[in-house]
Amino acid sequence: MVGKIKTELGAALGNIEIGEVNYRERGYHLCCEVDSGEIVKVARFFDERGFYLAAEICVDYKEYLELVYIFGNHAALCRVKVALKVDPAKPVVPTISTVFDCAYWYEREIREFFGVTFEGHPNMTYLFLHEGIDYYPLRKGQVQVSAEDKKSLGSFQPEGAEDTFCINLGPQHPSTHGVLRVVLKMDGEYIEEAEPVLGYLHRMHEKMAENRGYLQFHANTGRMDYLGAMAFNLGYVTAVERMCGIAVPDRANYVRVIATELNRLSSHLMWLGAYLADLGALTPFLYVFDDREQINDILEPVTGSRLTYAYFRFGGLYNDVDEAFVAATKAFVERMKSRFVLYEKLVTGNVIFINRTRGIGVITKERARKQAVSGPVLRAAGIAMDMRKTEPCAAYGAMDFDVPVGTRGDALDIYHVRIKEMENAVRIIEQALAGLPEGPVMAEKVPKKLKPPKGDIYHTVETPRGELGIYIVSDESDTPYRMKWRVPSFSNLMVFPELAKGNLLADTVAILGALDLVIPEIDR
Amino acid sequence: MEKVLDLARANSLWPMTFGLACCAIEMMSASMARFDIARFGAEVFRPSPRQSDLMIVSGTVTKKMAPVLITLYEQMPAPKWVIAMGNCAISGGPFVFEGQYNVIEGVDLLVPVDVYVPGCPPRPEALLEGLMKLEEKITGKRRFPGPEERW
Repeated sequence: MVGKIKTELGAALGNIEIGEVNYRERGYHLCCEVDSGEIVKVARFFDERGFYLAAEICVDYKEYLELVYIFGNHAALCRVKVALKVDPAKPVVPTISTVFDCAYWYEREIREFFGVTFEGHPNMTYLFLHEGIDYYPLRKGQVQVSAEDKKSLGSFQPEGAEDTFCINLGPQHPSTHGVLRVVLKMDGEYIEEAEPVLGYLHRMHEKMAENRGYLQFHANTGRMDYLGAMAFNLGYVTAVERMCGIAVPDRANYVRVIATELNRLSSHLMWLGAYLADLGALTPFLYVFDDREQINDILEPVTGSRLTYAYFRFGGLYNDVDEAFVAATKAFVERMKSRFVLYEKLVTGNVIFINRTRGIGVITKERARKQAVSGPVLRAAGIAMDMRKTEPCAAYGAMDFDVPVGTRGDALDIYHVRIKEMENAVRIIEQALAGLPEGPVMAEKVPKKLKPPKGDIYHTVETPRGELGIYIVSDESDTPYRMKWRVPSFSNLMVFPELAKGNLLADTVAILGALDLVIPEIDR
Repeated sequence: MEKVLDLARANSLWPMTFGLACCAIEMMSASMARFDIARFGAEVFRPSPRQSDLMIVSGTVTKKMAPVLITLYEQMPAPKWVIAMGNCAISGGPFVFEGQYNVIEGVDLLVPVDVYVPGCPPRPEALLEGLMKLEEKITGKRRFPGPEERW
């Protein structure tokens, strides 16, 4: 696959050099640099071959701005980085939102944080930031937002037409699970347009990363996605370990898998409870919290926290697990199996639940690819892609588990996929417990201050919500030069405006809930 | 007469469903079966500010969220109280650093706060203790004897 793409891309672009890099070190296979005039052509090239746009990243190298496009493939492991140099004095680039729909959102983000203008982009208003900000936050020097830019950015102003009106869903609304605001343009009971407004919980994680050491930033990862904190921990530590070439002991790898899967269970359980509460069934909420508390009881003594974990360390774990942990996990696994039967009885066959979710929010394969959807939502659309299978980190490679897929891609399918994923998580935990080796949990001689070699890396893990991509640029100092988080909820939310169109207002809650959004992760 | 009313208010605080960030999950935990906030009469989470008299600010308040929070506070009928839950709501917590541009460093800069509950995030027990403290503030006496002073 990689070789084929290399020759075809070379033929399409002519005299441009395409570099083949070490995938184990970098997380991508091919890289090339193109001129801004050719980027639309490149995007079309990848679109035709069934690639999706995983991330669009901007890095400020002071002399120039670099735009990085990461293209990935659902069918085979092949990732391509396309870089584009932009003049910081006059940053103008043609948009590729005409080719990949998800770029519409990525480009808005880059516009407000770096001030890069995308020619031909239909809507360039503030998405994350508030109007009071007068410089581009992620630029290295304090680059002022010019008056002209400020005017063109402006905040989003909802406007109704003669027959339509706008209503706000959020930012304080129980069923948006946080502070998401969606402005719905309504024609009676039906939705004509949905426009998410983000940034109500923008906590500057990416800016903080540039101000802290690698270990200091570790605590932030758990606060980004508080429900799946363990998976974010795992992604971050494995990315940095990969950069520095730190080998992790086997026991630590196995414990990482157990802890991450336990956390995945608790995250999915939380989703199950909250989603059903959105749909009007309050009882399951009490049941899932019962299970969640069990998981918290297991993890708390070893990790030291109930929610925002920071358990993993570069090179291993903060704390070894003991006999009590193993025994408690075994007991929990047994208990959980009987709980699935209970949920089956309580929820799966419920006529009201089925009628409210079947055929609602159907995501086709093509739309899922164009919008770079990932995780259970992607799998419900019928694409079996799981980072734990394709790019196994920790001890996932040694585990045997299924990747459940849906057939219709509606909210009911997403529910089924998540339930099956929970069952698989239990399977993984069982295997990891059975194979848990003895030995140290910390690699020897890991320096306190890490200074990864110069270069960049795009590292992915599967969080409960989908593909988490971490792009780190190191300049050999002890703080990252740039750290970009490609978060799954952000990409999953992008598909919502399309899905909501033409639906009833009551159904938006069913669609939005099924996507399982965690707002601090979207806003970062 | 006011005393009787205060007693009634303290024993039936109606919090607003106002989850902002991570702390909201612990707030939910507090209202679920194990920690059972209903023991203290505060289980009626209302989605509307007009029906509630307690605002639990559970999470980071950003500059974009601040006007919304003030509006919600003003929409609540008096008498009303505010609990700042978690370090973010108290002082900005871990998200305060030189050059930060988006976080309000303490919700008390926006609305008057009655009780501060520290932690990142605070445990549900801590929130319950905060509730006790608020009751103490309203009625003038504590529902249960507090934990022993050991230090």
